[in-house]
Amino acid sequence: MAGRAIVAWLDERVDLSGLRHFVAEKTVPVHAHKVWYYMGGLALFLFLVQVATGILLLLYYRPSASEAYESVKFIVSTVEFGWLIRNVHSWSANLLVLIAFIHLFSTFFLRAYRRPRELTWLSGVALLFLMLAFGFSGYLLPWNELAFFATKVGTGVAGAVPVVGDFLVRFMRGGDEVTGATLTRFYGLHVAVLPAITTVVLALHLLLIQRQGMSVPIGVEKRAREGVPIAQMPFFPNYVLRDLMWWFIALAIIAALSVFSPWELGQKADAFAPVPAGIRPEWYFLAMFQLLKMLPSHILGLEGEMLGVLGFSLIAVAVLLVPFLDTRAARGEPNRPLTVIGIVGLILFIAFTIYGYVAA
Amino acid sequence: MASFKRTLLVVLAVMAGAAAAAAQPATSGCVTCHAGLAEARYAAPAADFGGTDVHRERGFTCVDCHGGDARATDKALAKAPATLYRGKPSPQAVVAVCSRCHSDAAFMRKFAPRQRVDQAVEFAASVHGQRLATGDTAVATCTSCHGAHGIRLVSDARSPVFPLNVAGTCARCHADPAHMKGYTLPGGEPLPTTQVADYETSVHFAALTKANDLSAPTCNDCHGNHGAAPPGAGSVVNVCGTCHTVFATKFALSTHSQIFDRGCVECHGNHAVLEPSDTMIGTSGDSLCAGCHSDGDSGFAAAGAMRREIDRMKAAIDASRALVARAANAGMEMSDQELALREAFNHLTLARTEVHTFDPAAVSAVLSKGLAITTAVDQAATAALEEWRFRWTGLVASVIAILVTVVALFFKVRALDRDHGLRA
Amino acid sequence: MSELPSPGAPVRRRTVLDAILGIGIFSTLASFLYPVWRYVIPPALAEPDTDSVVAGRLAEFRNNSGAVLKFGTKPAIVVRTPDGQFRAFNAVCTHLDCTVQYKSDTSQIWCACHNGLYDLSGNVVSGPPPRPLEAFRVNVRGEPGQEEVVISRT
Repeated sequence: MAGRAIVAWLDERVDLSGLRHFVAEKTVPVHAHKVWYYMGGLALFLFLVQVATGILLLLYYRPSASEAYESVKFIVSTVEFGWLIRNVHSWSANLLVLIAFIHLFSTFFLRAYRRPRELTWLSGVALLFLMLAFGFSGYLLPWNELAFFATKVGTGVAGAVPVVGDFLVRFMRGGDEVTGATLTRFYGLHVAVLPAITTVVLALHLLLIQRQGMSVPIGVEKRAREGVPIAQMPFFPNYVLRDLMWWFIALAIIAALSVFSPWELGQKADAFAPVPAGIRPEWYFLAMFQLLKMLPSHILGLEGEMLGVLGFSLIAVAVLLVPFLDTRAARGEPNRPLTVIGIVGLILFIAFTIYGYVAA
Repeated sequence: MASFKRTLLVVLAVMAGAAAAAAQPATSGCVTCHAGLAEARYAAPAADFGGTDVHRERGFTCVDCHGGDARATDKALAKAPATLYRGKPSPQAVVAVCSRCHSDAAFMRKFAPRQRVDQAVEFAASVHGQRLATGDTAVATCTSCHGAHGIRLVSDARSPVFPLNVAGTCARCHADPAHMKGYTLPGGEPLPTTQVADYETSVHFAALTKANDLSAPTCNDCHGNHGAAPPGAGSVVNVCGTCHTVFATKFALSTHSQIFDRGCVECHGNHAVLEPSDTMIGTSGDSLCAGCHSDGDSGFAAAGAMRREIDRMKAAIDASRALVARAANAGMEMSDQELALREAFNHLTLARTEVHTFDPAAVSAVLSKGLAITTAVDQAATAALEEWRFRWTGLVASVIAILVTVVALFFKVRALDRDHGLRA
Repeated sequence: MSELPSPGAPVRRRTVLDAILGIGIFSTLASFLYPVWRYVIPPALAEPDTDSVVAGRLAEFRNNSGAVLKFGTKPAIVVRTPDGQFRAFNAVCTHLDCTVQYKSDTSQIWCACHNGLYDLSGNVVSGPPPRPLEAFRVNVRGEPGQEEVVISRT
């Protein structure tokens, strides 16, 4: 067939044997927890959706304070299917962060970060932070009221960092206040800086997974050591088709959300308007935001907000260093206390997020 | 020798004193004494005149109005009859003192060429002037409103006759029941003292003080400045019509202009002119029309018809607005429709003006144009919502296609698993 | 355990399944690609008209005439004075928001609602409006013979 002829032509010039081996030989472990394997691929797929819709939006978006809002309005009302592209981009972003968190928690609880996959974990956590940065920077781009004030509050939190706080705020805002300068800065971040960094980190993450194969739960590994072989399924086509199924389900969810809960544009940002009541960031920052709001203004003489920010930074560092802190997993042993910490952390995260919604 | 030196010293001292006295400005004589007096009644004029005063700044002195000799430092000499000293002019004399200059066109031209010189003539025609001529000294004269010493230009925001301050100045007498005791209206009722309080509730006052619109009327705009008098019932329409031209024209052509005694005032009041509302028109208990018209007369029917039309227009605009908002919220481009709704609202404003013809047909003609616009807007908004519905359907179709694929994938995967022996 | 499957039935089932799968994937892809294709084709109105709008061709404006047009969400009035110059203003009367129009017999801008009159610099001549009309910039651009009149806010 024509397909085979093309493959043969390419094989002559670019040695495709590695690719052919990959397609024919790669397998994925089969066990009770294999459903979590799909989360990573789903996150990758959603990221690709973001890149595609983001590039499409780039064709019409204008990153200046006097034109940003109008250009988004133009996209959703005048450009054919612009409303669809914008809604897919906004909803897929949220879904991406959700899946990324699920992926983080599932790899945490399954100890997938244990030796030799520490680098995979580090790059993965870095990717999560990058997705959060994408979300924060992208949120401002429509330059509407909600985004403007959310950015004002969010960048203001950085001021609580001791010593470099003021510099950080100025650096993020491109000035002392949130202005058109902030918009262009966030735009540059969102479409150039973050994608470039993400490409590198993502490539590393995927390369590591390819080289090391999929991690299996500790119990399965132990049984394998005792002689029970781990069932495998061919990557291509079995796993790929299952992956595709998840991707399609995600697409259906995004499409449904785009129709039944379209993203509003709201009012154009006005620096001199009073802050609208109930201002709050997107759900993935809500728990942090709510906690900061609840902290008293001073604890033991130190600024409450500063302690909050430092606390979150410590949690972030701890999350990064989990593979090195969990010595038991490295030895292939379960670690009950860590599991409990993880569950408590997850519950608190969910609880404060819900509280953040309810309190507004 | 010593006595010569002493005489020389005395002569020099006297000369120095005389020179000093001569070198000082001519007011020093009046001000020197008056400024040092304990009683405020005598000291205040000197102090006020020494501050911001339009006359002093142009070189006028106490002597120009009061007469006397400014160079004399002795009271008797300063106020000797030969100096033409006239003291504090009586109320009747004030007008003469002021108009000596202010009614002289050639003189005023040297200082303020554009200023009018007929104030005294106007004043004579005013209620104040006429009563003053009969000997009533309680009425206002030039100094009552403009002040006597420390007079500021009318354009100075601190002048008592600056537009924002006029009502307060009039109120000094007209809102004081003790002062106004004994004065009556032409019909015999006592002259009210509520005018300024009423005025402060009005839209004119709000326009002046809150919207900073200095063209908004205050007391003198309707009553006149120097020739102040109530306009008289017959001229109300003309007075209001100097600004509210369209309403006056329409009203003058209507039936009510023959019937109303006091023109605009019958419905809108004279001092407490409030924001008009649609409740004023109609046949319900709180409408103004029902005050004269009753069920069965043609006016009643007309009032009811006009109110119904206006309410219909308002409802149509509200409904259109809601529909456009729905479509806009769904993401459809609605700015053309929003602009058209503006135009529809314009027609509502025009209709409210047209009401002053008290002719339902005329009001209807204006409103039917507005209703045509809202109908068109409704059509456009409905079309936009249909387009949205079409998108919704398209999206549901693609979701179904996706779900079919998911199901097919699911079964395909199972089949493949069976092939590979992963499943029984 | 199961017997060997009969050759006929499963193959047919699988072909049907494959067909459904193929159609499903194809139609899903089509439902993505079609909107993307329509999206990248520029719409009739090429860019958002927020800061400037084309009022029309130069030839359409006679001396001593005016026209009201949409500028963003509000109306604007463009006037060609008797001596050929262009002026443009926000057509919202500063009194009670009615839309003004051009009166060619007196060469003034007039508001029909309450008889407000503005001169050709936007200043109030008579009537109730408290403030002058907001002025816009007018520029003429384009090839000779096909010039366009453009109104802009700044």
